[in-house]
Amino acid sequence: MVQLTRRHLLTAAGAAAVAGIAGCSSSPEESADLDEKRAGAMDGFKAGDQFKATEPLTFSIMMLSNQGYPYKADWPFFKELTARTNVTVESTAVPGSDYNQKRSVMVSAGDAPFIIPKTYHPDEEAFIAGGAILPVSDYAELMPHFTEKVAKWNLQPNLDQFKAEDGKYYLLPGLHENAWQDYTLAVRTDVMTKLGLSQPQTFDDLTNVLREMKKAHPDLYPLSDRWSTPPQPGANNLLNLIGTAYDAHVGWGWTPTHWDAAASKFVYSGSTDQYRQTLEYVNTLVKEGLLDPESFTQTDDVARQKFANGKSFMISANAQTVVNEARKDIAKIPGATVAKLILPTGPMGATLPGTSRLENGIMISKKALESKNFVAMMQFIDWLWYSDAGLMFSKWGIDGQTYSGKVDDGSFKLDPGITWAGINPDAPKNLQVDYGFSNGVFAYGGSTAMLNSQFSDEEKAFQAEMNKRQVREVSPPAPLSIEEREQVTLWDSALKDHVFQNTLKFALGQRPLSEWDAYVKELEGKNSTQYLDIVNKAHERYKKAHG
Amino acid sequence: MVTESRGYRVFQLVNGIVLTAVVLVTLFPFVNIVARSFSGEQEIRSGQVTLWPKGFNTTTYEKVMSDALFWTNYRNTVVYTVVATVIALFLTTCYAYVLSKRQLRGRSVLVGVAVFTMFFNGGLIPNYVLVSALGLRNTLWAIVLPNAISVFNLLVMKAFFESLPTELEEAAAVDGSGTYGTLLRIVLPLSKAVLATMLLFYAVAFWNSWFAGFLYMDKQELFPVTVYLRNLIAGATSGTDVTATSEAALQIAASIQAVTIVLTMLPIMLVYPFIQRFFVSGVMLGAVKG
Repeated sequence: MVQLTRRHLLTAAGAAAVAGIAGCSSSPEESADLDEKRAGAMDGFKAGDQFKATEPLTFSIMMLSNQGYPYKADWPFFKELTARTNVTVESTAVPGSDYNQKRSVMVSAGDAPFIIPKTYHPDEEAFIAGGAILPVSDYAELMPHFTEKVAKWNLQPNLDQFKAEDGKYYLLPGLHENAWQDYTLAVRTDVMTKLGLSQPQTFDDLTNVLREMKKAHPDLYPLSDRWSTPPQPGANNLLNLIGTAYDAHVGWGWTPTHWDAAASKFVYSGSTDQYRQTLEYVNTLVKEGLLDPESFTQTDDVARQKFANGKSFMISANAQTVVNEARKDIAKIPGATVAKLILPTGPMGATLPGTSRLENGIMISKKALESKNFVAMMQFIDWLWYSDAGLMFSKWGIDGQTYSGKVDDGSFKLDPGITWAGINPDAPKNLQVDYGFSNGVFAYGGSTAMLNSQFSDEEKAFQAEMNKRQVREVSPPAPLSIEEREQVTLWDSALKDHVFQNTLKFALGQRPLSEWDAYVKELEGKNSTQYLDIVNKAHERYKKAHG
Repeated sequence: MVTESRGYRVFQLVNGIVLTAVVLVTLFPFVNIVARSFSGEQEIRSGQVTLWPKGFNTTTYEKVMSDALFWTNYRNTVVYTVVATVIALFLTTCYAYVLSKRQLRGRSVLVGVAVFTMFFNGGLIPNYVLVSALGLRNTLWAIVLPNAISVFNLLVMKAFFESLPTELEEAAAVDGSGTYGTLLRIVLPLSKAVLATMLLFYAVAFWNSWFAGFLYMDKQELFPVTVYLRNLIAGATSGTDVTATSEAALQIAASIQAVTIVLTMLPIMLVYPFIQRFFVSGVMLGAVKG
């Protein structure tokens, strides 16, 4: 009896192992000819072409169901998509709340749909070793619109950052023509006018504006900020805005390594001079009573209440929160007005970091490569996610039905009977809920004209200013091996904690900035040097292998 | 007439005060949640709501309950819970009764098999692969079968059966009752308290569970309501949703958690009074003479 049990156990273990391996096995024909996989594909498909499969095809897709517009199989989006492309998408509906977890299980079990959208870099890295997802860079030539946009918008350096150690990337990200700066500070414009203050150009100007406000209202902090959710040190947007001006990776913009172009190597972000300058600036604001020290710890609600009660005049914002929150919050103060501040500049001049130009993207299940419709699928993806026509379709729908005009000449207009994000607020139908367009699974990225088409005039003016700014070069790729990544992760949390804690201390003046050198030594004691060695070695190795 | 001693009256008074305090402390969060679920956004955000709704508002209830998918998922939850509880209760009772018999050969192996799964399991992905390979995905059985026996409940039940006096069963055997007859006519009627407890444990667990439904169901029409509400909360509180512009969206963001708790809590709470009468002690008082 005991023997029998043991045999059973072994059989069960064996079966589990086989199932596990089946999920991870790599296809033997990786670089094989794609000729047998062209069923339904278009011959000579090129940029500008409308994709239409030569026979009816069905592709499976992992479909994030957004709470705001839960997935419906009968959305006009799907019907029109089939009419235009001859492709039916077969959706596995996954609640947005736990999308990543289900994706992770399905991919690891080798059971994922062919098309796996809504993946944010570097989430795809976890699946590379398992071999369940496709190195999409090998098949980029099947995607004329994608390659055209990458070349035209000079996005290759950004894509290079997505590359794994083998020099391939495994995610097809959404592409933005330009860096999109949405976040800034919102300011009480009526207070500015009353005090005769003009729009600050630089962060030093901003300090002066705050000083004037403080002079007129000595009993309050003119700037009291929000968005202090850990793990970052607090006032995460403010720090990031200042960091943008000083070229420091801080707050929301935190990344552990910082590319030093002059020395052509990576340095540790938390010990750069730019980081110190950022903290110096913040510390000045705190010292002079211009920035509420509670900015780093208070909840958003508290910060909003201070702004709403006229106890502060500036608060972090984006286009959405200015309209939905700040403006509503101050409604009860007579004559109060609020607007986004054109993002002040600093030592880096009128530039923006170029890191925000790639969006979340699509992974492709390796199983798809075995399908005879593989080429057609890549063409379909290329058209829907990367062609101007496809982007316009997934974003705004059908010309003459849901919208009219063009985005390029500014004549675009959403149908008055349809509402979307504050446009036509009283319209009976909703572009997302009732039609399935502007769905985050399909519609993101695209040209600046496309992006602008969704903004109010006020926001367009802000964006016009932002678009004048030069986009900075991104750092070169330094892909780590699995072992290296594990090692680096071990050091990373201790380092990060120390940086964040001290960021707060320096900013609040609890630790004098004269102790900066001691602080850098402390980071070295926590292996920042070894960390950089690994990253710099990876960079050198990559350069040697892939140019 | 028996007069109560002074000490006893003091004891009763203190007892009453302490128990009342416990009731208040227990009830307060419930009442507060109900009040919040009917309050306006501003009032909730500024923390004015305590025991009574302020700025009465039912937008969130209307939004949630007007969605056909909500009711579909709600029905799913009821079906999943009822079927799963019945099956789980049946299997657990059978297993526990067998394990409670000391004369059973190989009993320790059977106990070991069950206890082993408390400490070791295949893990998420092998389970997923197994359930997929058995063709259970997108069926009720994916939720019911993998969770049909909770080892903890099994051990509780086994202990209860073991505590039943063997004399009762022996007496039944003398009167000509077989194994099944004894179980059905003698043991189970005496075990109503533990059965009711298990029923509650299982029903509440299945009612609240969302993960199996989320993992093994690929269609929204098959989700339990917990998955629906979880997604609703995530969407309403993430703040990244560009559609969250209207007054209604802000109202929903403020009260959705309270509304969700009320909606999911209510039905399962209504079960308690019906089960309570089984929680009686002294059923077997004097059944066996020393």
